[in-house]
Amino acid sequence: MAQYSAELDDVFVALADPTRRGVIRRLGRGPTSVGDLAREFPMTLPSFMKHVRTLESSGLISTLKSGRVRTCVLNRERLAVLDDWLAEQRRVWEDRTDRLESFVTGTEENQL
Amino acid sequence: MNPDLDLTLERVIRAPRSTVWRAWTDPARLEKWWIPAPSRCRVDRLEVRPGGAFVTRLSDDGADYVPHLDAAFLVVDELERIVFTNAIDSAWRPAAAAPVAMTAEITLADHPDGTLYRIVVRHGDPAARALHEKLGFEDGWGMVTGQLATMAESEAP
Repeated sequence: MAQYSAELDDVFVALADPTRRGVIRRLGRGPTSVGDLAREFPMTLPSFMKHVRTLESSGLISTLKSGRVRTCVLNRERLAVLDDWLAEQRRVWEDRTDRLESFVTGTEENQL
Repeated sequence: MNPDLDLTLERVIRAPRSTVWRAWTDPARLEKWWIPAPSRCRVDRLEVRPGGAFVTRLSDDGADYVPHLDAAFLVVDELERIVFTNAIDSAWRPAAAAPVAMTAEITLADHPDGTLYRIVVRHGDPAARALHEKLGFEDGWGMVTGQLATMAESEAP
């Protein structure tokens, strides 16, 4: 759970910036080279690369280098992490109820 | 009940209500099912009354026990209902529960086959949601992520 929370924090931090949200939006249209992406944002290439690295370390995008061109790709399943916390809590409570049920209906309960 | 934040669960358990109640309120019994094996549970405090402490620890090796839950009971109706929250800890201090603060309501009712066991868990905003405000999201988070996902999907080639 703690690990899940840390993953979630990384994703939220990565998305908390308009440039990085812009990159995600742009990559929704398909993989794009860093050079092409950078041209769409009013900043220096080194500044832009910082955003790319933040997105990459959050797992929201991956980058592939081919020759001298680095291409960014959106990891769609990573966006799903944002919606999964409730499913995770449901699973915790369902498993817990399974264990309670097998405890109260099993022989173990009578031995205490 | 807010379907985006809360969950409900209902189960018929083939055991009498008093047995289910005892499994919840007796520390030796609670320890047997509260945490999934192979981890072990130790119940530090189980004061089953309004305002009472609910503190459990867990161990992976049976030697070192680390904090698991530090919560307080809000409502206790004998054999009928238990409500507890981790939004305040066992000392009633407001707590930053991760990934999300919750209030759990467990209700027991008689059923021809045993006990009708119902759970409603009401969640606060996920911890990360509090973070987003600090980081300057302007819209509701659900809307932002929903739109973002939709947009990313719809702009796929």
